[in-house]
Amino acid sequence: MSADVTQARPLAATAKAAARRRARPGGAVALPLISGIGGLIAWELAVRAMELPPYLLPAPTLVAQVMVEYWGMLMRQLGFTAFAAASGFLIALVLGVVAGAAITASRLVDRMVYPWLVISHAIPKVVVAPLFIVWIGFGLTSEIIFTVVFTFFPIVVNTVTGLKSADLDLLTLVRSMGASPLQSLWKIRIPAALPSIFAGIKISATLAPVGAVIGEFVASNQGLGHMLLQATGSLETPLAFAAVFVISVFGIAIWYLAELVERLSIPWHASQRGTILGA
Amino acid sequence: MHAVALSKVEKTYFAGQGDVHALGPLSLAIPTGQTLAVVGPSGCGKSTLLRIIAGLDDATGGSVRVADRDVNAPIPDVGIVFQRDLLLDWRNVIDNVMLPAELNKRTDRQTARARAQALLERLGVAEFADRYPWELSGGMRQRVAIARAMLCRPSMLFLDEPFSALDALTRDQMNVILQGVQAGQGVTTLLITHSIQEAVFLSDRVVVMSARPGTVLDDIEVPFPRPRRLSLREDPEFVDIARRIRVHFERAGVLVG
Ligand SMILES: Nc1ncnc2c1ncn2[C@@H]1O[C@H](COP(=O)(O)OP(=O)(O)O)[C@@H](O)[C@H]1O
Ligand SMILES: [Mg+2]
Repeated sequence: MSADVTQARPLAATAKAAARRRARPGGAVALPLISGIGGLIAWELAVRAMELPPYLLPAPTLVAQVMVEYWGMLMRQLGFTAFAAASGFLIALVLGVVAGAAITASRLVDRMVYPWLVISHAIPKVVVAPLFIVWIGFGLTSEIIFTVVFTFFPIVVNTVTGLKSADLDLLTLVRSMGASPLQSLWKIRIPAALPSIFAGIKISATLAPVGAVIGEFVASNQGLGHMLLQATGSLETPLAFAAVFVISVFGIAIWYLAELVERLSIPWHASQRGTILGA
Repeated sequence: MHAVALSKVEKTYFAGQGDVHALGPLSLAIPTGQTLAVVGPSGCGKSTLLRIIAGLDDATGGSVRVADRDVNAPIPDVGIVFQRDLLLDWRNVIDNVMLPAELNKRTDRQTARARAQALLERLGVAEFADRYPWELSGGMRQRVAIARAMLCRPSMLFLDEPFSALDALTRDQMNVILQGVQAGQGVTTLLITHSIQEAVFLSDRVVVMSARPGTVLDDIEVPFPRPRRLSLREDPEFVDIARRIRVHFERAGVLVG
């Protein structure tokens, strides 16, 4: 879906924007860096000037100090969270693509299931998280299943959109070339769906750590979510800040990883287009 | 010997709000090896006609025979080029050309690959064999689409307004190139176009269709020997034929499209 938006963008506008970026080399990195560092300094100075107690708002230097001190533990907890996020996401990916394929393949499944999927997507999933303890019990399984639920929808929806997006004329053409339905699925529909599926993957991949952390809030005694809850509960706010920081960096890293996988998998898509050859 | 024989073919689309009588009754025979150009006003059923002959759509009346068989499924022995090149974004040029060989098991891969290479050379795009479609201009892309259509040595080539999206100069160039590819192949060709000049330049015969529902309005032999040069378009006989076609459209009060 977002991939379509990229495609629809006039080439000229994209080129102009690129030229503007090139005209100020480093500006895209340097400027946010300056404002970011400025913000940190202001925060540090404000905390010191107002003599705020650390449990209310810790200074950045204190958070950094705590991070160094608790590095080992933070990484171990990150390991739990990352495992739950990755397992949940991968299960959601497989289920989502299969469900999307089934919805596309069968009119009956489409009519009977898809509307309910879309409607149930409107239920805020955080609200139902506690129910998972009732149904599945406290622990990793609950956490993973909650992550699956949390990340499933963008993949289904984008898979369906992608598989339905194949050019009708192109499908007619390959039919005239003697393609079987399976061949046109494999050689046309699926590749044509990849940009859309990757758009879903990117959304879900960034949702996965969020899902895992929420799962840990309610159903786990390990992981960064649990640690965050414990730290705030005992007013160890600097440690809570450190946990939030680690979660955030992890989320950003996941996004870049998804982006990298996308670039390697579909280099032919709009993202990498350049000069046109010949007359 | 006729490659295609149509007798009183009709097509009605049964749409929601009302039926559209798109085509016919239309009778037409294309001798083997002939290049037939079809011109007619926009919406008169030209694309419908092509789809019916190719077995991609059913006629609602009359008989459609290709290579002396009734058509009721996509016919195997044809290469098709549409106005949009319909290249696969995710394949490079040579792999795009190879697509038909992958889809029908009759063609040996090795042979097909050599032929693909040769076709790209003949069409002047061999240097782009490893490039992706988005790296090519519209004219280059359409040449690749032609190579793909010709890969499995089809005995028939169907072209539905193949050059309509190209600028005039590229279009002239493509006319010369297409003629070169056809030369000596004996391919029965059905060319749908809205350019009268293109129709006369490329064909052995031009069929003029009426407005919807399309029927045959005129059927004109084009006797010029091949290879033809673009300067042929200034030949008085050529101009006469072009005028004869244009008069049909002026009389009907429609533009060619
Ligand atoms: N699938 C369809 N359903 C309903 N009407 C159609 C369909 N395809 C074409 N038509 C109608 O049939 C007529 C002929 O269409 P077409 O063969 O595409 O014309 P041409 O190629 O000569 O411009 C047009 O009026 C068009 O609107
Ligand atoms: Mg048409």
